[in-house]
Amino acid sequence: MTKALDKNSGASAVNLAVNVGGLSMKNPVTVASGTFASGREYAELWQASVGASSEPSKNVNPATELEALGALTTKGVSFEPWTGNATPRIAETPSGMLNAIGLQNKGVEAFCQDDLTWLAKNAPELPLVVNVCGHTVDEFAPVIERLEQETVVDAYEINISCPNLDCGGMALGVDPEVAAAVTRTCRAATKRPLIVKLTPNVTDITEIAKSVEAAGAGALSLINTVAGMAIDAKLRKPLLARGSGGLSGPAIKPVALLAVHRCYQAVSVPLIGMGGIRNATDAIEFMLAGATAVAVGTANFADPLVALRLADEMQLWCESQGVEDINELIGGLLA
Amino acid sequence: MCEAVGARESLSCQAASGVLEPCEVLDIGSCDKNGGIRRLVLRAPHAAIHALPGQFVHLRIPHFDDHLLRRPFGLYRCNSAAGTIELVYQVLGAGTQQMTSLKVGQKLDIIGPVGRGWSCAPEAKNVLLIAGGMGAVPLYPLAEQLKAQGKQVQVVLGAQNADLLVFQKDFETLLGAENIPICTDDGSAGFHGFTTERAAELLKKSSFDAIATCGPHLMQRGVALLARKAGIPCEVSLEERMACGIGACLSCVVETTAGKKRACVDGPVFKADEVIWND
Repeated sequence: MTKALDKNSGASAVNLAVNVGGLSMKNPVTVASGTFASGREYAELWQASVGASSEPSKNVNPATELEALGALTTKGVSFEPWTGNATPRIAETPSGMLNAIGLQNKGVEAFCQDDLTWLAKNAPELPLVVNVCGHTVDEFAPVIERLEQETVVDAYEINISCPNLDCGGMALGVDPEVAAAVTRTCRAATKRPLIVKLTPNVTDITEIAKSVEAAGAGALSLINTVAGMAIDAKLRKPLLARGSGGLSGPAIKPVALLAVHRCYQAVSVPLIGMGGIRNATDAIEFMLAGATAVAVGTANFADPLVALRLADEMQLWCESQGVEDINELIGGLLA
Repeated sequence: MCEAVGARESLSCQAASGVLEPCEVLDIGSCDKNGGIRRLVLRAPHAAIHALPGQFVHLRIPHFDDHLLRRPFGLYRCNSAAGTIELVYQVLGAGTQQMTSLKVGQKLDIIGPVGRGWSCAPEAKNVLLIAGGMGAVPLYPLAEQLKAQGKQVQVVLGAQNADLLVFQKDFETLLGAENIPICTDDGSAGFHGFTTERAAELLKKSSFDAIATCGPHLMQRGVALLARKAGIPCEVSLEERMACGIGACLSCVVETTAGKKRACVDGPVFKADEVIWND
């Protein structure tokens, strides 16, 4: 909880600290899984950029800047290494992008040795959420069991919503019973905060939300990408090698806001809202819809330092609006 | 992985991490008579000083907010004393179309210099460069560097037609016209045929000890095959759709003998032998 004060102490009376199902965050900002790797590339870009500028007074410690986040959410980690899909894996679309990366990752053991070692050394105070993925219900718990040995991990985000896998991913998140089964096996494997990330590609997202809440989810992330397609007319072919992918960016912000709004009314666990957030106003809109925290995803690609600045911008927004505690915004839509 | 030594002067394979650098448009212009190929000069001192041949910058196009992604552009000429970089690009899609409206004095930002550039067998003495279309862009700074090192360099320069041979003058000024064999797909200038055919002829006549190529994917695959047959080490510069440009998102991966590698920071230059060429 003292983390809440270190960056902005004295500068403002606004309380930005939030609690997401047992995960204490000094501000509501995290990043969307898969857009930020494990933070190292962004931290090093920040460090190099500040070092290259002519302003000598700035602190160039990458850890300090990563710790501007309320929490870091890693890319999805599976038990075995996954090679992901063929390229092209992305396509730009109006106000958005499609991706079909396919959760390429080096597996939990290498993740622990490389990424977690780096994070423990360089950002030890940063709350860390590890995104966990699997092809089947049974593949999640072994990942968590391995990560339980790592003290730097603070929480898990369970990915039952990736649209880019032939087996697992979203298939686990569209059926309330299966989603609950994954949640139960993860809940049994850890006492750490458990966040379940939901797909919008369902008839009624609140049905899934209620089911995973009942199965032990301490918080929900929403939304994962919206299933979509882009076509090259001249070639008469899809723009993605996989054919279809997941849509992200400002194009899906209204979809995401509605999902957060509806789930806020349907469940009592806290929500992490994401989908097209680019600035403080976007983030505040998600909180008003019912999110306790927010994640920046696709915007990281255009502006790689936006997530590291967002909490400061949200604080300024609160100051300008006379908001003393950001928690008062959560679900604060007026009738 | 990095066989060459680390000093900058040695043309070693380097993976410099990029910097987010604000920059300013200093000059714009057309390179061909139809305006389909454009040049853009930016004040970007950090990139200008630190760029190595074969690296690129990841550029955010201003006033283009409904198109989210940055665009990667190979570095053409860098002037470290003046702090300027020059990009040459073909107008192909919405992004490059939007870039034609850039004005002198306009501000934008880049991440750069990014990527692992050419290493090109540092011990090589006689180097063949094979450039198809816009593939000439990253090969120009390599040619400059090889010349400065006193090496023999020939550049097969190919384009669809004579009008699109926009790099011919610069390469000829640098290396002399006798070292720039030209070819065009339609025969409107130089050899009538593909760069790979022209390169195959040259390989029969002279002995090269290194090859570097950039151009259409199929052409690079063809060059890689020629090089393998001739037993000459070859480097290629690959292009994949890219999002972050800093190695985080895994969009731009290339299939290699050592698994998937990221074109943005593990490339864009790869050893031809490590690439698993697909159709």
